[in-house]
Amino acid sequence: MIEGQRPVVSCRGLSRVYGTQPMPVQALTDVDIDIAPGEFVSLSGPSGSGKSTLLNLIGALDRPTEGEVIVDGVALGGLDEAERSDLRLTKIGFVFQAYNLIPVLSARENVEFIMQLQGVAARERHARALEMLESLGIADLANRRPGELSGGQQQRVAVARAIVTRPALLLADEPSANLDSKTTQTLLELLRSINVERGVTIVTATHDPIVMRYARRSVQMQDGRIVADEAVSEGTVVRPA
Amino acid sequence: MPLTLLAQLSSRNLWRYRRRNLTLFAAILIAVAGCLLTSALLRGYQHDMMDDAIANLSGNLNVTAPGYRADPSIARGFALDAAFVPDIPAGEMLGWTRRVRIPAVVLSERETRGVSLVGVDPDDERAISFLGSVAIQGDSLSGQDDGRILLGVELAKQLDTGVGRRVVVITQGADGLNREAGFRVAGLYDAAGTSLEKAYAFTGLRALQKMLGTDAVTEVSIRLRDDRFSAGADRALTKEMGGLEVLNWRQLEPQVAAMFEFSDAAILIWFVILMLALAFGLINTLITAVLERVREFGMLRALGMRPGAVVVQVIMESVLIVVSGLVCGIAVGVAAIAYLSDGIDLSRWAQGVELAGLHSRLIPHLQTNDVVAVGAMALLLGLFASAYPAWRAVQIKPLDALRR
Repeated sequence: MIEGQRPVVSCRGLSRVYGTQPMPVQALTDVDIDIAPGEFVSLSGPSGSGKSTLLNLIGALDRPTEGEVIVDGVALGGLDEAERSDLRLTKIGFVFQAYNLIPVLSARENVEFIMQLQGVAARERHARALEMLESLGIADLANRRPGELSGGQQQRVAVARAIVTRPALLLADEPSANLDSKTTQTLLELLRSINVERGVTIVTATHDPIVMRYARRSVQMQDGRIVADEAVSEGTVVRPA
Repeated sequence: MPLTLLAQLSSRNLWRYRRRNLTLFAAILIAVAGCLLTSALLRGYQHDMMDDAIANLSGNLNVTAPGYRADPSIARGFALDAAFVPDIPAGEMLGWTRRVRIPAVVLSERETRGVSLVGVDPDDERAISFLGSVAIQGDSLSGQDDGRILLGVELAKQLDTGVGRRVVVITQGADGLNREAGFRVAGLYDAAGTSLEKAYAFTGLRALQKMLGTDAVTEVSIRLRDDRFSAGADRALTKEMGGLEVLNWRQLEPQVAAMFEFSDAAILIWFVILMLALAFGLINTLITAVLERVREFGMLRALGMRPGAVVVQVIMESVLIVVSGLVCGIAVGVAAIAYLSDGIDLSRWAQGVELAGLHSRLIPHLQTNDVVAVGAMALLLGLFASAYPAWRAVQIKPLDALRR
């Protein structure tokens, strides 16, 4: 991270315990991490390592048992549910493993959805949605509903929906889990170009080594702790100096 | 709050779960149409009761001297100027008449019966009382000076007399002495076997006044075009006829009025029962709909939809179904009532029908306030029934929902 630059994400002393006595589950233990604007970070590790928990805490979908998360300068600890909704709406884009498109809306309407919640005027959001679909090469699918799209196409629409409002942060939870390798490759090219060309900060939780290779920073987790945090060059894992 | 978006989502979700929603829509439609039809039939019954009460010489309003109800004798009569006309707008009044109504004894060659002897103006009565609508064997009375008598079929049977025969009437005159006169039976009125036939005997007003030795009348009866005008007319008459007692048909026929109020309550209870039954069905269906879509609601929340917007969406979906069912239910109910506008023939159950105070043909009568009441109840029901499912929807934590 560049010295003096404000991180998009800053986590300090983050712990998360699920369940109660006598069988609490320590999902995250004392995690500190900063993510700078424009980074492409992969959180990886075995199941139960805490990568999804960390992603959910950063995404204001969960509250830590201890510690603090700051996203784009906003401390999440003091926010109520409505304020957290507003933060997710304005600062964070989500790409889910199961795409999670709204089944009753067309691809274009799904892309417009966040803008509609934000109150963007109809003409503007219509144009921006079409432009986004076009840039992702799926403009011809604009009027199809999710049920009429393949998994890869749905995930592209989900990416379009996530970045069309130019969020400070794009969170992707196992984005390639339901895709074949070819479609995964295409999706990752897309995420990389979004990261490089648009400067969108991307954090992804993944098992998939291909995804890890596309990221520029690899954070490996185990038993709720960060065990490695490394810069990545294409095809090679390089430890930072 | 993005209401356009929520309306779009809600309307499309209705179609998405069309089988379930169509079932719910049909249930609401049938309940609303059923409510309206049954209320219209009960209103028809009420109208029969009210029309009968008004036509049975009460009128919508009846003016008598104080104390006449307790002692209905000619001594409680009052003078009425020949030029008197009730101070009620012509558009509100169907007609009016003056009468002498006194207790009397009628004797035939074989039997004696006590009746109310009523001196009437037959022309006035035609417009305002049952005398205008009943079938008459023999002659009607020809005018106020007609000194013949009109008996009910049932009374004639009891007296063992008939058209053209003579009967003797004994009653008390204005001077307090008994008067006795012979009357020829002009005709027999057929009031469908009701107690009216035994209760009333009619003769010309002036002929009876002559017999009693007075110009006084015992009552003025007013028939309004609609009972809604009753309160205003009551005030006008009370002012115009100071010192006399103005009573409406509810006061004159308290039993009928009580039945009327009972059927009002019955209609309300029926509405409430039907709507409550519907509410449980609606709540059950909406909760199922919410539980089926936990993941979807969680996803909407994760994407930044505020909890309040989720509540509005669930309520909107419910209200959309209720409003569609309500509008179509009203249309079907009104159409069914229009189809039955000639009435339902109940003559097959004539005896029971008469005992229940019904006419042989029950004509449904739709009241605007019933439509408004059903509409308001259904809308409240929609809001009430969706409140709990909406609360459940907003309790869904985005993270828990997305993990499913």
